[in-house]
Amino acid sequence: MDTHEHHQLFNVGGAKVSRFEDIRLITGAGKYASDWNQPNQLHACFLRADRAHARIVSLNLDAAKRAKSVVSIYTGEDAQAAGYLRAPSFLPATGKGGKKPNVPQRPCLAIGKVCFVGDPVAMVVAESHLAAQDACELIEVVYEDLPAVVDPEEALKPGAPQLHDDVPGNCPMEAESGNEAATMQAIANAAHVVKLTVDCTRVTASPMEPRAALIEYKSETDSYVVHTPSQGVNMTRKQFGIYTQLPEEKFRVEIQDIGGGFGQRSTVYPEYVSMMIAAKALNRPIKWVSTRTESFLTDTHGRGNLITCTLALDNDARFTALRVDWITDQGAYLSPTGPAGHIRNATSCLNGVYKIPALYADFKVVLTNTGWVAAYRGAGRPDIAYAIERVVDAAAMELKMDPADLRRRNYVPLTEYPYKSATGNTIEIADLPGLSAKALNLADWSGFAVRKAASAKKGKLRGIGMSTVIEPTGAGQYPRDEIDISVDGASGDIIVHTVSQSQGQGHVTSFAMVVGNALGIPAERVKIIQGDPERAPKMVGNHSGGSRTMVGAGTVCHIAANKLIDAGKSLAAEDLGVEPSQVNYCKGEFSSPHSKKKITLAQLASSKKLAVTGEGTFTSTYPNGCHIAEVEVDPDTGVTDIVSYMSVDDCGHVVSHTIVEGQMHGAVLQGYGQVFGEHIVYDKDSGQMITGSFMDYVMPRAGQLPDIHMEEYTIYSKLGPLGIKGMGESGCTASLPALVAAVTNAIGVKHLDMPLTPSKVWKTLQANKA
Amino acid sequence: MHTFSYVKAKSVKEAGDLLAQHVDAKLLSGGMTLIPTMKARLAQSSHVIDIAGLSELAGIEVKDGKLSIGAATKHVDVSRSAVVKKAIPALAYLAGLIGDPQVRNRGTIGGSLANNDPAADYPSAALALNATIVTNKREIEADDYFQGLFQTALDAGEMIVKVVFPVPAKAAYEKFPHPASGYAMAGAFVAQNGKDVRVAITGAGPGVFRWKEAEAALGKKLAAASVEGLNVDASNMNEDMHGTKEYRANLAKVMTKRAVAKLGGK
Repeated sequence: MDTHEHHQLFNVGGAKVSRFEDIRLITGAGKYASDWNQPNQLHACFLRADRAHARIVSLNLDAAKRAKSVVSIYTGEDAQAAGYLRAPSFLPATGKGGKKPNVPQRPCLAIGKVCFVGDPVAMVVAESHLAAQDACELIEVVYEDLPAVVDPEEALKPGAPQLHDDVPGNCPMEAESGNEAATMQAIANAAHVVKLTVDCTRVTASPMEPRAALIEYKSETDSYVVHTPSQGVNMTRKQFGIYTQLPEEKFRVEIQDIGGGFGQRSTVYPEYVSMMIAAKALNRPIKWVSTRTESFLTDTHGRGNLITCTLALDNDARFTALRVDWITDQGAYLSPTGPAGHIRNATSCLNGVYKIPALYADFKVVLTNTGWVAAYRGAGRPDIAYAIERVVDAAAMELKMDPADLRRRNYVPLTEYPYKSATGNTIEIADLPGLSAKALNLADWSGFAVRKAASAKKGKLRGIGMSTVIEPTGAGQYPRDEIDISVDGASGDIIVHTVSQSQGQGHVTSFAMVVGNALGIPAERVKIIQGDPERAPKMVGNHSGGSRTMVGAGTVCHIAANKLIDAGKSLAAEDLGVEPSQVNYCKGEFSSPHSKKKITLAQLASSKKLAVTGEGTFTSTYPNGCHIAEVEVDPDTGVTDIVSYMSVDDCGHVVSHTIVEGQMHGAVLQGYGQVFGEHIVYDKDSGQMITGSFMDYVMPRAGQLPDIHMEEYTIYSKLGPLGIKGMGESGCTASLPALVAAVTNAIGVKHLDMPLTPSKVWKTLQANKA
Repeated sequence: MHTFSYVKAKSVKEAGDLLAQHVDAKLLSGGMTLIPTMKARLAQSSHVIDIAGLSELAGIEVKDGKLSIGAATKHVDVSRSAVVKKAIPALAYLAGLIGDPQVRNRGTIGGSLANNDPAADYPSAALALNATIVTNKREIEADDYFQGLFQTALDAGEMIVKVVFPVPAKAAYEKFPHPASGYAMAGAFVAQNGKDVRVAITGAGPGVFRWKEAEAALGKKLAAASVEGLNVDASNMNEDMHGTKEYRANLAKVMTKRAVAKLGGK
């Protein structure tokens, strides 16, 4: 089987080129949500719950209404009147036993009750941001406190405080996948059973751009213009439509640049919908920019999963079954991408990279008095990979085996792909035996003992850890991805319209490279227009998320460009005086062996309309990789230094190495952040957030990771003509287990939950000594 | 931010008078604590008196074995000063560890000492070096100046004009930065003059303090091993999600040992 086809599809692709958008962005020429302004705009400020769970007994707005420059104040009554009561949430239609989910109401402003610290209670609209802030402090709220629950396991217990009347037991749904009976049977018959519970901790994305919106009401058409950070125009319009029960056509979404997505921008938030009420009532644009504190409290969080794995092994240390019991903490309400993403993505790769005949997972979706949770770089994929890789390492430790050997024994062999997993998922291809061998060799896995001894001489504890992971990327909510492509008659430039929207991924560069390559012209001549407010809503296509954009929209750029050539041949045939079948195309020029004339794309477009729509439908591609981390722990302080970090990844055909390496750097560092410090923590008694600022929330710093040694192990996907597999999230998926494995190896424990702060590592070492 | 009146003071005297006049007035130097607190609407000052750039608060010089630093001197200037590097290199080193470049380019030594954040770096240097805090009204010895969590000997209407550090034979600072904020989880400043050794710990407890057992042991023998058998009392330490009392007590000791090792006392 030929797995290493080194096609030179991309002449530029092999080279490292700078991104076209970088100069504009780093010189401050970007236009973000808070850069949009309209004359006559008003400013909103939200009064938020200062407690985790309480009934609103009364709201006194009198003093606030009288305050200088205040125009109007809105509360839950206005939410009720508008009927903006149900935030969109895309849950599976039925759960375990065919039961329908119970989705809690989420009015855009609290009605009678608050369920987490930060829940919006009232919105003050004033002539200035400062006046709105001042007036918020004048609102008197009388609360009747209710007991709060912030721990998902506690929330599931009988007698726990109940968040919503319409969600009994705080559990909107329980879902399952795989075969429980077969799995339990295999566990009962196993030679070894290894069980491990891991906390895939709650974190927040902290994008550089704070959440913001400018909402305009157009009375002539009774419609709205929305400017807000989003991961895609179509998804945003769809969610606005669901929240307000208005047709999507009533929303025009105008966005230019977005300062970070990570899944956190895949939600239409209640603030935006509240602002619509004011924009219409006052017929003036309403603007709001969140503070960083509001961002911590109210932007969707990520992960928050408590996962128990029960792994069964036979006498040859071959995996015979895996049971996963998953508690997913969704916070006080359900977000669009939270529960569904976690359940679907975890089910898609419940076997990890291993051949496991019996699989079963039970998912309990839980509500707690905390901020809501949504997709976060990987949305369930890193979580399941983390849980599986940790239980595999635990098994290796219990069986006194080399973790690399145990993995090797259990990889799905290359010959068995496409592999249909026991959850019914078909994985196209991966070569973990080959890929991991390359990584182990690069990392000199077998020579570790010598390095450990050298570290010991310096008083340091050295550890090594590996992860082998796989994940689904590419499929989407929309039936297909479309790309509009045309040649500008005046300039001869190629104009490409996309639905997907970059939040920093560099589409303007990578899409242009694909189109330029297909047309045989410099990528600089290709202009990418993302999420055009007029054009994009008329196209079908997915938002940017789930590492799907290059697989879907990127591939369609190639398809569309080839369709453009075909259309051009038909048009050029008239000018060349030949049949379309006699026209050749090469590097921007049409010619024919039967004609002396030649005509360029630009010349053709100057007199004729040259425009087509390309489309394609894609199922999941499966990027995979092996990451190996080596660390030194200082036993005096518990500080971990990353000594080396190696990654070998298969993301199929790479269009831009610059962009792929950038994604990998960011994703590995994001994983590092979660492993070593990032953690959203609530006080168990009061429900107050303890980590509400960067004084307590530990963001990783660039200098904390050494240079990542990255290599590729490329197997083209055959699911699309370019052989691409998605890769925006895979670095995060692989880094969590690799880094935790390295630290636990260094300090000689089976497992330690994230974050592995110096204090926690030191305490563990002290306990080991005792 | 709540509304307030901004006044640019033309002299230390004017600033002192304004401070005395308005009970809710605050001095603005680098603003590294004041401005974030105001932005979070936690501080409500009637007046903000800007003293940045006053010539009376500027200047770094060594005279009669004493290093004098004007209160409005920025951290970046202390960290890069040839005078400081020659007289007390540990102090220049400490200033270079404060916050990040943005903070070091704005924050000042007087602001840091007046605020007396329990995790700030400068208080440990001032206490270990037995500095004198010179105000618009009097001179205060470091041992009397620091009075626990955000508390100092400064009276209402009193402002720091300069800080005078006796130049020690040797000094060293070791800091363990808080993983989120970068403030000191524990910082140990060790200063030596013959048999006289002073050890000041910042970050670990509710305020900067002298570790007198370590001072005595190090006075006999300036070696990290002298501290080995000693322990900082954990019951007096701070505790939060980033570190227990025991962990902070341990860090205080480890940082002290490392500072002593830097002084050449293995």
